[in-house]
Amino acid sequence: MFTDFMLHSNRCFIQNLFPYLMRCVHSLLFALQPGSKRKKIELPGNGFPYKEGEVMADKDEKSEGLTRRDALRVLGVSAGIAMIAPLSGCGGVWERQPVIPVDAWHKGVCRFCGTGCGMMIGVTDNKVVDVKGDEYAHNRGRLCIKGLMNREILYGEGRALYPMIRKNGKLERATWDEAMDLVATRFREAIDEYGPDSVAFYGSGQLYTQESYTANKLFKAGIGTNNMDGNPRLCMASAVTGYTSSFGKDEPAGCYEDMDYSDCFFITGSNTLECHPILWERMLDRKRSHPETRIIVVDPRRTFTAMHADLHLPIYPGTDVALYNSMMNEFIENGFIDRDMVENYLSFQEGKQKRTFEDLKKHVAQYPAERAAKICGISPRDIQEAAFTFASSKATLSIWTMGLNQQVQGTASNRGVVAMHLLTGHFGRPGATPFSLTGQPNACGGVRDTGSLSHALPGGRLVANATHREEMEDLWKVPRGRIGPKPGYHAVALFEAIAKGDVKCCLVMCTNPGQTLPNSNLYRKGMEKGFMVVADSFHPTETTIFADVVLPAAMWVEKEGVKGNAERRYHLYPKVVDPPGEARSDLDILVDFAERIGHGDLITAKTPKDVWDEWRHISAHSKYNFEGITYERLQKERGILWPCPTEDHPGTKRRYIPGEDPMAHGGGRFDFYGKPDGRATVWLDSHEEPVDPYTDEFPLIFNTGRILEHWHTMTITGPVPELQSIHPDYLEIHPHDAHHFNIREGDQVIVRSRRGEVELRAKLSLVVRPGMVFATMHSAKHLVNQVTHDVYDPFSKQPAYKRCAVSVRKKTV
Amino acid sequence: MVMRNIRHIRRAWMRLGLTWTWMSLFGSNLAFATEGNTNIVPGIGLLRGIGIASALGGIIVLILVHFVYRKRLSRGTYHWLLLLGLFVLPITATLSSMATVMEGTKRVEACASCHVMDPFVNDLKNPASPTLAARHYKNKWIAKDQCYGCHISYGATGTIAGKRDGFRHWLYYVTGTYSDPIKFVGSYSNSNCLYCHEGTRIWERIKSHNALRADLEQDLVACIRCHGPPHPLPQERTGSAMK
Repeated sequence: MFTDFMLHSNRCFIQNLFPYLMRCVHSLLFALQPGSKRKKIELPGNGFPYKEGEVMADKDEKSEGLTRRDALRVLGVSAGIAMIAPLSGCGGVWERQPVIPVDAWHKGVCRFCGTGCGMMIGVTDNKVVDVKGDEYAHNRGRLCIKGLMNREILYGEGRALYPMIRKNGKLERATWDEAMDLVATRFREAIDEYGPDSVAFYGSGQLYTQESYTANKLFKAGIGTNNMDGNPRLCMASAVTGYTSSFGKDEPAGCYEDMDYSDCFFITGSNTLECHPILWERMLDRKRSHPETRIIVVDPRRTFTAMHADLHLPIYPGTDVALYNSMMNEFIENGFIDRDMVENYLSFQEGKQKRTFEDLKKHVAQYPAERAAKICGISPRDIQEAAFTFASSKATLSIWTMGLNQQVQGTASNRGVVAMHLLTGHFGRPGATPFSLTGQPNACGGVRDTGSLSHALPGGRLVANATHREEMEDLWKVPRGRIGPKPGYHAVALFEAIAKGDVKCCLVMCTNPGQTLPNSNLYRKGMEKGFMVVADSFHPTETTIFADVVLPAAMWVEKEGVKGNAERRYHLYPKVVDPPGEARSDLDILVDFAERIGHGDLITAKTPKDVWDEWRHISAHSKYNFEGITYERLQKERGILWPCPTEDHPGTKRRYIPGEDPMAHGGGRFDFYGKPDGRATVWLDSHEEPVDPYTDEFPLIFNTGRILEHWHTMTITGPVPELQSIHPDYLEIHPHDAHHFNIREGDQVIVRSRRGEVELRAKLSLVVRPGMVFATMHSAKHLVNQVTHDVYDPFSKQPAYKRCAVSVRKKTV
Repeated sequence: MVMRNIRHIRRAWMRLGLTWTWMSLFGSNLAFATEGNTNIVPGIGLLRGIGIASALGGIIVLILVHFVYRKRLSRGTYHWLLLLGLFVLPITATLSSMATVMEGTKRVEACASCHVMDPFVNDLKNPASPTLAARHYKNKWIAKDQCYGCHISYGATGTIAGKRDGFRHWLYYVTGTYSDPIKFVGSYSNSNCLYCHEGTRIWERIKSHNALRADLEQDLVACIRCHGPPHPLPQERTGSAMK
């Protein structure tokens, strides 16, 4: 019996041993039954329980008997083997196995929002199979549903696999050479015949920094046109002007870590729970561990975020300036002004005029709580309570995004919040800072910091400033005068120019203006006219359908690059898989394009690392200095916060603090080095009435926004299988209004404005106020931007998506 | 007559001794049962007491019966006492101690008894910690046996994998071969969370949950990937985690 062991080499150790052991045990059990041979034990006296000579049963057959000694030996050996055997590497038996097996984990970052969550990307067989949060990154291992779905996004239907050229009205497959030759030829012709301003670039806050930087350099210093803009114009432009008008420099002063120290979160114009969910969790963590933390939410809608608020101010869209002026009035009346700040670190301005603190007092006194409450549509008590909580807490942190930025008074709203912090001294301490959250993953690092906008140059410089132009011409080693002195077309103006025919050729990369421009009908018609070259990872989109050339672009971890998230963290996205089909990275496309139109000697850096090194050395000549963030450091660490001037500098958490910010000097409390007098500016802004007036024909306010599960125009998240059941093309309407317009739940309704109309499915909801309706921007089948207004903020040129006047009626079949 | 009296006296002594032994053991059971610890799990102390009493009692009975009183006992009594000492009491002891271990390991104190768990138990009981464990403990969302409330695979009615995991943990711990910082291996079973959370009104109205329902049920996506971390991360752990 012991000798019938046979080794099967295609089975693991356990599978070899276990059947054999079972046979041994079986024999053992059989052998120990009564009747097998055993030794008789004689005991003295009458202790032996059986009569002498008796056995319990008289079976005498020959069995495969074991003696007790052998039995014990076998059992002992089996037990020993059973102890050691599992260590042999039969993984499934010894340890839990993951449901999705992964060959290798790579450190990377999420494709989606401006939070920029670190994640570990699991790759098996050159395919991304799983993602999980990076425990060592700022998000502490957390991801939201879009983050988790990163593992699906590369493999969705509709990936653009090969270049296409429009021939006879239809897009047909072409080779890269054909496509790029055509693009270069048409651009060259337009430049030669109509001048450099007849071509344009429309980029994205989702391109890598290296890509936006290269495009910026090519168009401004190569071709010599400032028609170089991007979708951050539609998203963050007002935040940029808000910060630059207050501090002289762009970008938040604080960092995410401030959320761990705040006692009051003032969330205004942000549905943080749905749009920056991991940052929201971080703020909730603060509240969980310190229940006395207060959350104030200012939002026209009773969003999921507002439901968690201790105080919710449901103001009408577009009334922020009145609210903040009123809150500043409360600060002054109740003695919450930080005198040291006012006397030593602040200056005051209204329009082009210098002002004083006394002027500010008189200005905000025009917004007593009663008047502001009437403008905003809330109660005066709430304004007073909000102001008191804001000012009296130990550290107040403000959070805002599109609610403030996508308004006609976007700049004024932004700097209103900043002013509140400056006046009350809630600035520069852990937990106290005005923090504008960025929507896209690389609007900060890629577009704002590199100056890839039509009025800007790298490092906070301006096209209109001659000194700045000369600095960049020297740094880029191009002759003086190459960079044009006039700012180019901003986003809305650009597509207007294309519609008019002033701009003949436009290269669009990684964005979908056909869906995202406000009043889109106008600009979509225009795109049919121009020579549009669209590089995107998906086709068809609402933009590629107008393209004359479609270039397939690699996406996320199919290409390598650096992005900068909302807290000034530059972090590296590695390349871990190959792009599908013939797709190439946008940097490759730009380098190729540059060579073909004759600027190959300008674009000398052709790889992500080379471009990065060039850009970081140039950044040393500005206050956005991140020369110390080398590629090696990015590969090793989970991103670094700039300014970071040297390689041993750890990064800067809070700016403008001497001793902490390497760009700040002196021994004072702050050094606002962005301003010539070293003082931050508090602006006196007045509330302006809405531009699109409400009439009987258009009585309702139309508001737009997002939901958690989908990203932007759904080109990337639309094909994800798990998200198919989430349909974002509904119209939130209050039951009061629904009753008035005879609309029931689920009815198809037509929303009409002075510009266009869109059909949506009515969803009765108490989230919106009476008089206000809301729709998401996501759906391509129902383009809500046909309705929105392309009026924009006069300073930032950012369109006002967040309100216009509409009518709603039931669709008659 | 003196000889008969001596046998009577010795039997009396034996009976007295046995009675005393049993009463003292029973008494110590009661003492265990009313021990402060056991108000969380009232049965554990009793089970433990029964197990200890049975084990000790069995040893004592066997020693007494076989070596001391054998000659003075009738064959019937001897056999019954052997049955008691060789089968009944050992089985009782085994069952009781197994039950004690199986049920006792559900208690937080049982997890805390290995010092590698100190950072986790410190965090669990820290009201200022925002980890899932701390919040469930602080808010009393799990009434007792909080570790078991989420790591639900152990206990007598738990999974085989749970017993294998327990064995493996014990083996690595006593040999000091666990990797530091300790990590959860494999995929966490969402049923541990969904057992309480799925089907509630709040859970069901979240669009993301509905979208991921199939993934969650197959453990393709873990609840804790969005809602974690459940325990302090390696860099956040305080308290002794040294080997």
